[in-house]
Amino acid sequence: MARDYAHPEALVSTQWVEDHRRDPKVRIVESDEDLLLYDTGHIPEAVRIDWVTDLQDAVVRDYLGRERFARLCSEKGIANDTTVVVYGDKNNWWACYAFWVFKLYGHDDVRVMNGGRKLWEAEGRPLVRDPEPKYPSANYVAKEPDPAIRAFRDEVLKHQKAGRPLVDVRSTDEYTGAKLHMADYPQEGALRGGHIPGAASIPWSKAVNDDGTFKSARELEKLYAKENKLKRRGRIIAYCRIGERSSHTWFVLKYLLGYPNVKNYDGSWTEWGNLVGVPIEKGMPAGAGA
Amino acid sequence: MTNDAASEPARLTAIVDEFADFEPRERLEALVEFADQMAPLPAELAEKRDAEAHRVHECQTPVFLWVEVRDGRVMIFADVAPEAPTVKGFLALLIDALSGASPAEVAAVHDDLLQRLGLVDVLGMMRMRGLHAVLYYIRKQAAAAPAEH
Repeated sequence: MARDYAHPEALVSTQWVEDHRRDPKVRIVESDEDLLLYDTGHIPEAVRIDWVTDLQDAVVRDYLGRERFARLCSEKGIANDTTVVVYGDKNNWWACYAFWVFKLYGHDDVRVMNGGRKLWEAEGRPLVRDPEPKYPSANYVAKEPDPAIRAFRDEVLKHQKAGRPLVDVRSTDEYTGAKLHMADYPQEGALRGGHIPGAASIPWSKAVNDDGTFKSARELEKLYAKENKLKRRGRIIAYCRIGERSSHTWFVLKYLLGYPNVKNYDGSWTEWGNLVGVPIEKGMPAGAGA
Repeated sequence: MTNDAASEPARLTAIVDEFADFEPRERLEALVEFADQMAPLPAELAEKRDAEAHRVHECQTPVFLWVEVRDGRVMIFADVAPEAPTVKGFLALLIDALSGASPAEVAAVHDDLLQRLGLVDVLGMMRMRGLHAVLYYIRKQAAAAPAEH
C-alpha cells in the first residue's frame, strides 16, 4: 500500500506557498466559485483566474480555446516554465478545475495548494484586498488539448457499454436520482435524475479532511482501490454535475494515487441527464453498500 | 393589494443608472462595496437564523432573509456568509434599493434586473440563478407579508 502520494510534487503546503510566493518563477493563482471572493482578500502575490469568465467560452459550451488560454497565461505573467500553484474555496474544487485546464493545454508544472483558501485563512496567513498584481507579460505557447484527460459523451457511452469503470463523484442523493443537484446548489437544467449505469458512487468529499486538505495516500488507497475496487490499470472516467467536483477526484486519482488513465467527463450530468435515449439508472445498484 | 400602476422604487432606478455608467470592473467593485456595507443581522433574528428558518434554498451558500412590511413599508434583513460576496453584494444592493418602498413597488421590480445592472456579462450566466432566487424571494415575501397597522 502506498505510503506517499504518487506525484507528491503536484501538491504544495501553505508553508511552501508562504516561502515561495515572491519567487518570480512561481505564480500563485486563486480560483473560486464566487468571483468576488478574491476581492475580499487574497494571497498578496496571487492572480485571479475565474472558472466562468476566464476558463469557459462565453458562447459555446466548452473551455476557452488554446489561443485564449495562451493569452490568459501571458496576461497573468505565466510562462511555459512557470510553476503555477492553484488554490481556492470549496475544498479546492475550482483550483482543481483550473489545474485540469492547465494540464489540458499541456502546462508542465502545476500544483495545488493543499487545504486551499480555507486552510490559509485558518492559519492566519496574509490576505490582502489590493488590486490584482500585474506581472510582466509572458509569451505563452499552449499545446493542443490533451485528449488523454478529457472524455466526450460518445466515448462515455462506449465506455459504459463496454462495462468500463465510471466514477460518479456527486452526493448520494444526486446519484440515486432523488435530487437533481446538490443540496443548496442551483439545478443546472438536467431533465432526468440518476446516474450512468455501472458508475460507482464515490462522493468527492470522501477524499478530503475537515480542514480542506486531502486525505493521506493510505486512506485514499483504501477508499478507491479497496472499498471501490478501482483497478489502477483500468481506464477510468469521472463525472459530476458540471465537471468541477470530478476535476477534484480526477486530481486525486491521477496525481495522488497515480492511476495512469483517468479522464474527466466535463459534460457530466448536465449533459448526460439531457441526452435523448442514453441509458440511466436510478437508485443504488443491487448489492451496493449504503 | 397589487397596484398595477406602481413602478419600481426610484432608488433602484438610480442604482441601475449608476451601474450603466460603470466599466465592467467597476460594477464588480460596486458589488463588493455593497457587500462590505451590509448591516449586521439584528440579534433577535440571529437566533432564528440559527434555527435554519428563512433560508433561501436556491443559493449556493447559506443565505437568510427576512422581509417584513411595517406601516406599509418593506423592511429587509439578511445574513450571508462572507464566503459568498457576490450574493451578499447583490442582496445588500436590494436592501439599499428596496427598503422603505411599498410592497407594490417591490412587486414591480422586473425579472430583467440583473441584465439592467450589467451583471450577466461580468459574472456569467452560470451565476445568475442564485441571484434571481434572492430577488424572487423578496418579491414573494413582500407581497405575502401581513400588513401591520
